[in-house]
Amino acid sequence: MSLKGFMDDAYRGRTRARRLETRRGEMVFSLEDLADRVGTKPSRAEVEALVPGDGDQTLLAQLLAQEPKKAHQILWGYLSSIAADASPVPLKLAARDYAGLELCRGTLILAGARDHLGERMSGGRIFVQGPAGDYLGQEMSGGGIIAESCRDYALRNMRGGFAVLRGDARNYIGIGNSGGRIVLRGSCGERAGWLMRGGSLRIAGDAGDYLGLLMSGGRIIVRGRAGRRAGWRRKGGTIRAGGYGLEAADGVLGLD
Amino acid sequence: MPDPRKKITALIRSLEELRLHVGRKDLSIGEERVGAQLFFPLANACLRGRAVLLYGGMGANKTTLINLLGSSFQSLELDEVENLMVTGHPEQTEEKIIGFLDPRQWSRDSSETSVLWTPWARSRWKLINEINRFPSGKQNLFLEILQKRKISYAGQIIEPGDTCYFATMNPEFSATYPMDEALLDRISVCVPAQQPDFLAGLALAERERSVHELAESLPRFSPQEFDALPGLVAGVGISSRVELAILCLLRDFTLCERAPGFDKTQLSKARPSLGLCPGCHYFNNPEAICWQVDEGLSDRVRQDLRDFCRAMAFLLDRDADLEVLRAVAPYVIWHRVTPVRSALERPPYYGARRLAFVSELVEKSINRTLNERAEMNLLFSQAVDGELDISKALQELSAFDDPIARMDFIPALERMR
Repeated sequence: MSLKGFMDDAYRGRTRARRLETRRGEMVFSLEDLADRVGTKPSRAEVEALVPGDGDQTLLAQLLAQEPKKAHQILWGYLSSIAADASPVPLKLAARDYAGLELCRGTLILAGARDHLGERMSGGRIFVQGPAGDYLGQEMSGGGIIAESCRDYALRNMRGGFAVLRGDARNYIGIGNSGGRIVLRGSCGERAGWLMRGGSLRIAGDAGDYLGLLMSGGRIIVRGRAGRRAGWRRKGGTIRAGGYGLEAADGVLGLD
Repeated sequence: MPDPRKKITALIRSLEELRLHVGRKDLSIGEERVGAQLFFPLANACLRGRAVLLYGGMGANKTTLINLLGSSFQSLELDEVENLMVTGHPEQTEEKIIGFLDPRQWSRDSSETSVLWTPWARSRWKLINEINRFPSGKQNLFLEILQKRKISYAGQIIEPGDTCYFATMNPEFSATYPMDEALLDRISVCVPAQQPDFLAGLALAERERSVHELAESLPRFSPQEFDALPGLVAGVGISSRVELAILCLLRDFTLCERAPGFDKTQLSKARPSLGLCPGCHYFNNPEAICWQVDEGLSDRVRQDLRDFCRAMAFLLDRDADLEVLRAVAPYVIWHRVTPVRSALERPPYYGARRLAFVSELVEKSINRTLNERAEMNLLFSQAVDGELDISKALQELSAFDDPIARMDFIPALERMR
């Protein structure tokens, strides 16, 4: 029997005119599935293409409820921002790394926070009911963060937006900032405002050593006392402090 | 000679009446529901040179069922059938399993080597009990036997004739060994054997006689009847639709765009579960089967599918149609493939229901072949038979986003051009 005869016999003249349609599936049920599709370091647009904020809310909620493995933390962070941006009311989430990553306009309320909170955010608000971890609001360009306190490298390379910390910050707050406003109601550790080029940093308590090291722009105001070598190798900008320790650079002013 | 099928029906009825646990009726073939645990061993008894593996926990009546069937088909006492089986444990040796040199030959003036073959080696009803309790090296012995269908020892060969092979296997315990993939490929069908459910447990509780007593009540097959069974099964025809569905099923599992020659059986360390597929056109497409399982299927699967479809159709006295294929194929395939974890772990499989997962893949492939693939298959067949210009067929086929069109049909037509 010829091949055509075999096929005719198999289909008995019942051939559908419909073309084959091999659609790409949307089989995303877990962060692992999502990582299979977009990798572990995708852009927000890639994640949003598969899990849109205005799409299946059950899926979004299901993914946000999962405890992410270390490799999937960035994915979870993007999902938290996508969900917050799409939500008409403030979104409450558990404290996890990268929450509010690249947040645009939504509002997040977090019961405590871990590292990289609000990283690269450009709008919206993040309220942290408790202390935040390292790298809080890193590279943020808009929006605002309000937290109790933070650890190291908070608000690094900030270009815009604001942050209010009700308590203390540890070392290296506001490194390399070129814009934005930081208000710290407590004290901070060493090297606050290091390499600062713009923006403002207001500290209600005391500041550690090397305040405004190598800064070239912006304003730092310390209500309390700055540590050793405030304004060391400063090239521009202003530093005003209630008091300062040994070896403060020339041009560091006292408060009126 | 009476109709052997009637005797098989009588055997099934006797097993039910005697309240022997033969599994639940979990196999739907058209309107009919039968038990896979009973019907696949029965189908194997009607074939020769095929192997059925019963897989399940202790006490699921796997060994007893095969021995009872052996008693009936071989017309032997249950004790005699039990003596025929070999049971796996690490100290089993080739000598204990198949035979040993006859020590009497050295006291005789004989130039020929004489081997005393064990009853198991001589039998045409071979049960390998708890096969995964044999260490991996010793499993290779069965690989050779299932491959050659004859047994050799010390230069001597015994050919027991057409044989029915059965094996039982427990889930992985501390005392078990992993099954060799090549050996699994030579096992035609793997059937889960389940513990008695509530009603079956009740029936067992009401049973008064021992299994040995019950075995005496079973109908017995004469050697002529037993030998006639393969011929009767071979008489069952397979339609072109079933043949085509089998062909496409095999290609669906085997084709891989990233494998050498598009053949997934060529892969060793690079596999779908080891990250071969991300970025591939078919990856994560639920319609495509290739990325969902690690292994391709060998041609043995095609032979097993055809034989077991025929045997099952013979047992149920119906045509070997697509309904039979849909029921049989998952049992022929599931032990030969490893589903990708991310696909298997989703509901409703939860990483555990491998047979159900493979059933769904089989269903998808068959449905697709019957419906969406019709136009594509007819185009290809017209081009092969010269009724359609090959260039035109290539142009038309390139519009089909199907693994078989892209990796089988188009390269074949390009070679013909």
